[in-house]
Amino acid sequence: MIRQISVFVENQPGSMLKVTSVLSDAGVNIRAISTFDTPEFGIMRLVVDDPVQAKNSLTEKGFVTRVSEVIGAELKDEQGNLNQMLKILAEGRINVNYIYSFVIRKGKAPVMVFHTDDFGKAEEVLRAADVKLVEEEEL
Amino acid sequence: MAGVSLENWVERIRDPKIECMSRDEMADLQSKRLVEVVNRVYKNVEFYRKKMQQRGVEPGDIKSIEDIEKLPFTTKEDLKNNYPFGLLAIPMKDVVRVQGTSGTTGKLTIAPYSQKDVDVWGECVARGLTMAGLTDEDIIHVCYGYGLFTGGLGLDFGAKALGATAIPMSAGNTKRQMMCMEDLGATAFACTPSYALYLAESIQEAGKVDSMKLKAGIHGAEPWTEEMRRKIESILHINCFDIYGLCEITGPGVAQDCIHKAGLHVHADYFYPEVLNPATHEKCADGETGELVFTTLAKEAMPLIRYRTKDLTSIDHSTCECGRTLPRISKFKGRTDDMKVIRGVNVFPTQVETALLSMGGVVAPHYLMIVDREDNMDVLTVMVEVDESVFSDEIRKLDALRNKIAAVLKTALGVSVRVKLVEPKTIQRSEGKAVRVIDNRKL
Repeated sequence: MIRQISVFVENQPGSMLKVTSVLSDAGVNIRAISTFDTPEFGIMRLVVDDPVQAKNSLTEKGFVTRVSEVIGAELKDEQGNLNQMLKILAEGRINVNYIYSFVIRKGKAPVMVFHTDDFGKAEEVLRAADVKLVEEEEL
Repeated sequence: MAGVSLENWVERIRDPKIECMSRDEMADLQSKRLVEVVNRVYKNVEFYRKKMQQRGVEPGDIKSIEDIEKLPFTTKEDLKNNYPFGLLAIPMKDVVRVQGTSGTTGKLTIAPYSQKDVDVWGECVARGLTMAGLTDEDIIHVCYGYGLFTGGLGLDFGAKALGATAIPMSAGNTKRQMMCMEDLGATAFACTPSYALYLAESIQEAGKVDSMKLKAGIHGAEPWTEEMRRKIESILHINCFDIYGLCEITGPGVAQDCIHKAGLHVHADYFYPEVLNPATHEKCADGETGELVFTTLAKEAMPLIRYRTKDLTSIDHSTCECGRTLPRISKFKGRTDDMKVIRGVNVFPTQVETALLSMGGVVAPHYLMIVDREDNMDVLTVMVEVDESVFSDEIRKLDALRNKIAAVLKTALGVSVRVKLVEPKTIQRSEGKAVRVIDNRKL
């Protein structure tokens, strides 16, 4: 499992910059970023190397944040691999709320980060299908 | 399409004896009525008796209208504290009607009427309809809401007093409004100015301007600009008139402008207007802006003595070109409090706060109201801060939260609200004088 930080931001110029500035000043390394927008507000979701430090610095600066768990699954960079993983989840009747990807520089393997309502079962079916799950220490 | 230009205008005056009375005669009539009403409230309403005693004023000290300055003020707060019938000056069995409007917090501001009060109300509206050139031959399409709100019934009572035909359409369903207007041959219509413009544009789009018999529009209950008036007039080829009133005093018909559009004539034989400096309470000279204060000179059920309307205006006592000597108040220049009129509904920021607090800590009571006018319709946006306790990582949950806040606010305010979730601490805190309302309408 990986901890992800979600930040509430208004949909206006410079709002994401404010978040990244805080993290940059706190020496936090951003591994992955994904944003979801509505006409008025958005949610920035981040995977960082130090989630505790990230949350503390953001809270201190007045940001509303939430730390939640997500699953990181390492895929081989080959055609059809994402399709394969989603098939495993679908067959396990696991709902994926959202998904995004990043690359761990050293290993150069793409990591899919996703959120679900049933983490236990998701991990179970992925492990059973030999999908490598990424843990926080590896970030 | 029967709008009459000023050159062809025939001024009609319903009660020339009163409406064109000399200032001295009017002052005599007002003095006589003031003495009566002060004696009555002193005798029948504990609230006024106590207030006058505190100020060391007795009914005997009030001999003429000039003495009105000796009397204490009455405020909306007093109405709230004496809700619902604490200020009643007649037995409840003689109350034939109660109307209401929103108060500053959850409760209504209510206005009880005796039969005579209803008759006076109808008479004042009828004077206004006559000012608008209407007679007993006219068909008046009333698309103000009927109900506790005084708009619909007030115009209805006025049409009845005039002997005209009233079509009690009430608000909404524009297609049906247009159909009835055309089929029943309405010669005048009454509604809020924003709806009037919407209706005018709808009539134009439907290519129905020429099949309408309209000649006048009576519009009030919310602030509007001269530009809006000209627009409605030019689309429909009619004359539009600005009618003013407030539920506590009687409803629409307290004042209305005539074809010369040089201020709203106050029916000062029934409603005595004072314009006072809001800080010093000193009388403003003609043309000087101050707070409008009304004393109901003939009201039976709930007379109000020096009621502070919190509306800012100026007064003009000179004789109007139409021949009326009734004093004229200018278009409103704002309020001394932060009440906003949104689509004809009075909205106070405190109502928003009460509603947010009623959600049991789901949201912080830090908010900002923004009023805009889009396509001539008022739009109220309420910005609410998202804090850690309600922030969800999922858009659908934030959307659900936003919808829930919007539903709670709509129930509390009586108007629909756009809710905007904003970052925490971006709204000014209420220590000191926090800005709670931003009004972007150019009124």
